[in-house]
Amino acid sequence: MSRKLKRKKSLWYRIHQNEKVQSAETVLLPLLFGFLFMIMWQTQKLHTLLHTDTFTLPLPSRILTIIADNSDKIMLNVNATVIVTLAGLVAGSLIGYGIAVLAALFPKWGSCGLKIIAAFNAIPIVALAPVMTNWTKDVSNHADIRSMVAKIMVVTIVCIANMSINAYRGLTELKPFSEDLMCSYAASKRVTLIKLRLPNSVPYIFTALKVAVPSSVISALVSEYFAEYIVGVGRQIRENIVLAQYSSAWAYIVVACLIGIIMYAVLMIAQSFMLKKRA
Amino acid sequence: MKKNTGKLIGLLCVSVLTVSGLGGCGSKAPAPTEKAPEASSDAKTEQAAPKTNEDILVAAAQAGKVGNWGLGNEYEVKALLTKYGQDTSYLSQAFDMDGFDDDSITLASAMTYNELGLVKNDYDGGYGYGDSVNVIDMNDEGVAMLEDNIFTTKAFAEANPNTVKAFLYASIKGWEYAAQNPDEASKICFNYGSSVSEDHQKYMASEVKKLVETDMSGNAVSDIGNMDEAAMKQTLDLAKQYIKLDDSVAADKLSTLTLDDIRNTSYLTEALASDGKFDNLEKTDVSIQLKWLPQAQFMGYYVALEKGYYDEVGLNVTIVPGGGDISETTAVNNGTVDFGVTWVSNLIAANAGGMDLLEVAQIYQRSGLVLVYKNDNFK
Repeated sequence: MSRKLKRKKSLWYRIHQNEKVQSAETVLLPLLFGFLFMIMWQTQKLHTLLHTDTFTLPLPSRILTIIADNSDKIMLNVNATVIVTLAGLVAGSLIGYGIAVLAALFPKWGSCGLKIIAAFNAIPIVALAPVMTNWTKDVSNHADIRSMVAKIMVVTIVCIANMSINAYRGLTELKPFSEDLMCSYAASKRVTLIKLRLPNSVPYIFTALKVAVPSSVISALVSEYFAEYIVGVGRQIRENIVLAQYSSAWAYIVVACLIGIIMYAVLMIAQSFMLKKRA
Repeated sequence: MKKNTGKLIGLLCVSVLTVSGLGGCGSKAPAPTEKAPEASSDAKTEQAAPKTNEDILVAAAQAGKVGNWGLGNEYEVKALLTKYGQDTSYLSQAFDMDGFDDDSITLASAMTYNELGLVKNDYDGGYGYGDSVNVIDMNDEGVAMLEDNIFTTKAFAEANPNTVKAFLYASIKGWEYAAQNPDEASKICFNYGSSVSEDHQKYMASEVKKLVETDMSGNAVSDIGNMDEAAMKQTLDLAKQYIKLDDSVAADKLSTLTLDDIRNTSYLTEALASDGKFDNLEKTDVSIQLKWLPQAQFMGYYVALEKGYYDEVGLNVTIVPGGGDISETTAVNNGTVDFGVTWVSNLIAANAGGMDLLEVAQIYQRSGLVLVYKNDNFK
């Protein structure tokens, strides 16, 4: 009896416990916040709050108009940026994973080598990009191709460090006794790697990618500043800001954000498929 | 476990395939279109032996080896490419001349007072090409645009007319002295924290003197700082043609800009007509934002500061060096500094974008931009 009463009292609580409501909330609440934010931006409440003007922070309507007006040009730049980002991400992650596997197989010099790789993480992109541009001058006679190679190499280096360190943890931090079990089966190094280490590293790969995806987008954008061939979302942001065209610059900033968000969303979907059965 | 490894490998394979597919789209498509003109330019160099500016520009443009820094410095180069019927694309040039040195850029942009000196001379930091290089001059080609000026915002000029006049009076006095004594001016600049060697500073001062004292057609200029009507008009016309803005509102505004929207000659005229005594200064602490690092390009202001010309008119002036991506138009527009030095084309673009800037003096009377090439590359 008393239990029934209590239940009736906390209707709000019960609604909250409903799984469907919860999942709807996780989508609706951020959407609502974003919507409110956009309204504040459009009605210039945000400008009063941040003590800025519509020149430095143009209204969303104007930004969207510019995106709509220049969709062809923007797509051209988006293509260039996305190709660089994806190619660098895949190349860097594969190489990084390879290094991690080697390090896990030969732990003595492996962990030491990884520390050196980790140091690569500390190199600023602004220092790396001009070096790569100079380095790849002989790659091709076509400026667009050699610039693309230079940009991909910057993204690759950024991703290698990230992936190798995370994957190494996945390959070595095994469940207690599982390695001992493999030993007791007299499993070879190769079998231990394939049956135990590689599957164990899958969640760590996604941890690495969650960091690598946004940072590869940023590396691609920044490396475009220094590339010989003038193309890409990052380059357009810089050109427009230097020319004091803040509305156009914001249009490209919004596009850059979209690239990052979409790539991250794709990664999240891939993760939910890959890790579904593990949970 | 096996399933997951299979999935993992599958995902990797798919991603590699998509990327290589995308990469193929990007690289294969432009290759054939660009190969053809390159071959033809090779053929041309063998047969016709190009020598005129047009031949050199066309050969370099066809090979895709014309360089410029971009970021608002490219309009004269675009105008020249258009003049000779070429596509207006160019390579992004770094702030050193290494690309020119290793021939990845055969027709490189250079300022007469800076990069050209580094290419020709063999002092510290120079490449020492001497007379084995030659230039295409924007002034001779009729596509020159005016560069370094003094500007402020319309609001500041209206609220502080006496301060503007006093600042102009002292600055022009500094420029006059610097133009007469370039060696001394270069030393003053060097002492104020230079980014380049003393020898290069000296070279720069001697070249800047020419830009300050000669107009686009090569005649001597009577008044330093004068805003020549014809040169301003040519700059504005070229700007309207070659500044491409994505923002339709800004593009519309650009097409309707007139000279009166970007410059006001009255402050300079009254400053020069005065006796150098300025009462009722509205603001005594003022600052000027340079377009680039401290160097003889801006020697007039450093001379005015060193010689006390600013003190004489009752101003306490701070010179703020630029460099990299510091946007002088933004700095002046948002009130971080009171005056600025920029290229007229940049001021035009900024006003089209919604700023309200006003040129009050034009220091450089001709374009300092040239395209430099090695004679050996265009025999």
